[in-house]
Order: sequence, then structure tokens, then C-alpha cells
Amino acid sequence: MPEEPYNPSPIGNPSVLARRNWWQTMLVKFIGKHTPKCREMVRIVSQSMDEPMPLIMRIKKRLHFLICCWCQRYEEHLRYIHETARKFPEHADEASDITFPPDAKERIKQKLAGQSR
Amino acid sequence: MSTPDVQAAAARWVDANGECLYRYALVRVRRPEVAEDLVQETFLAGVRGYEKFGGRSSERSWLVGILKNKIVDHFRKLGRETSFTDMEFLSDEFSEKFVSVGFWDHDKGPHEWKPEPDEVMHRAEFWQTMRDCLAKLPQKVRDVFTMREMDDVPSKEISAILSITDSNLWVMLHRARMALRECLEMNWFDKPAGGTA
Repeated sequence: MPEEPYNPSPIGNPSVLARRNWWQTMLVKFIGKHTPKCREMVRIVSQSMDEPMPLIMRIKKRLHFLICCWCQRYEEHLRYIHETARKFPEHADEASDITFPPDAKERIKQKLAGQSR
Repeated sequence: MSTPDVQAAAARWVDANGECLYRYALVRVRRPEVAEDLVQETFLAGVRGYEKFGGRSSERSWLVGILKNKIVDHFRKLGRETSFTDMEFLSDEFSEKFVSVGFWDHDKGPHEWKPEPDEVMHRAEFWQTMRDCLAKLPQKVRDVFTMREMDDVPSKEISAILSITDSNLWVMLHRARMALRECLEMNWFDKPAGGTA
């Protein structure tokens, strides 16, 4: 087992900051130590979509994203889901092939005709 | 608009939008008779409020907006009768995605997704995948997620409607988003026929 704990920034890490040289390594370690871990960050990312986050947490999130492209992607994906989910109702007819019963349709038409008289 | 005009418009609405409204209502409430009632109430409210419509959006968006409110009212009534916290689902942590110290396991972390939302809007397969992924969520968690993300109800209001605490709501939404993200990645974005094709 290596002496150092799990390396969150392995070789080939595509994040903005990775352990590519001494300075970056120091920076990655510093940010990793002072921002929430990924398991906690995904919870924060979700909550930030439902209520405003304190400024300090928003800064920590941005800093964390510099060293973790996976959490950054996670936030992008949640925003993508948010954007598409709100469009879902208008595309519900494409999402399934269940038929609106014709007799129900007729009943509603008759009711509407009675209502607008 | 005169009465015959409204009657003609109403019949046209049912033909043009009935299918879409019914299918969405059915996804949300799951019981055909309840879905039918909600669709009927939507059209009745549409006829009554037609003067206010004013053509600012498409007829479908307008009717979907009315239906969303009817669905929220339905859950408001339901919320008083049932407990909405799904504890079984809350115990699932997706823990295999993270190493013990709390960082992503890089082999299992989120992949890169393409394309942009606008590009999938016209693909029925995407909406079918989303419906299938939603169907995999436990019922109560799905209700909370759809109310927040599809009906755009503020989180405080959802907590009040369903009589759950804010922190329970956040946990349920977090787990729902995590599960849905995972499902879409596996069944759409990582598939050759899906978004990455």
C-alpha cells in the first residue's frame, strides 16, 4: 500500500489543475484539503439548484471544480437534466405510445361544448 | 371570441393536445381515471380562461402550464394523506462511485456528455429514455423530482405541499438526480445510438 492516501489527481487527470508539476501539486493538495470531498460536493451541487448557496460555498465549489473535472461534469449534467426535464411535459406524446381513450376524448369535448354554451 | 368559436377551438385543442396532456398526466399520477379527470379540468379551465391566454406562448405550452397546476393541486390533496419520505431509497448512497476518502473513483465518475439539450428535443427516443429512467425511481422520489424539475415548483412549496422537511426534500432530490443522471448516461449518452453517436 502506498504511504500517501488515495491520489485524487492521477496522471492524465483532465482537470484544469492536476499534479503536473510541483506548484500544481501544492495547489491541488491545498484545494483538496480546504474544499468538500466529491461525495459531499455532489450533494452541494444538487442543493445549489434548489436554494441559493452562501458565497463562501460558491467559491469552494468553483475551486473544487479546478481540481475535479468529474464534479464539474456532474454539475453540467444536472443542469442538462434540469433543462430537458422542464421540456418533458410538452414532449410527453413522444415519450410514450399510450393512447388517450377516444371515448374519454369525446366525453371531454361534450363537456366543453356544454360549458361554453 | 364568440361561443361557437370557443367551442370549435376547444374541440381542436382536444384533438391537437389531448394525447400529450393525457400522457404527461399519466406519467405523473399513474392512474388513467385520475389522468383523464386532470386533462378534463385542464381543458375546462382553458375554456374559462381563454381571454387571458392572449397568444403569448403556444397553445400547448399554455395548456401544459394549466395541467401542471392541476397536478400540483392533486399532490397537495394527496400529501395530506400519505407520508412522502421514501426511506428505503434514502439509504442508497451510490457508494461504489466513490473511494473511501470521498473522491470520485475516476473509472466510475461522470463521463463527458454531448450533445446540447436543443439537439435532443426532436428525438423521440431521448424522451422515451427519460421516461424509462424516471419510471425506475421509487414512486415518491419520482413525484418529488418531477414536481421540482418538470412542474418547476419552488422547493419550499414542495416541502409544504408534501409535509416533509427541507433537508428530507434535498436528500430525495439529490438521490433522484444522481440516479437519473446515472440512468441517462448508461442508456443514452454511452450508447452508440444515443447522444454520443
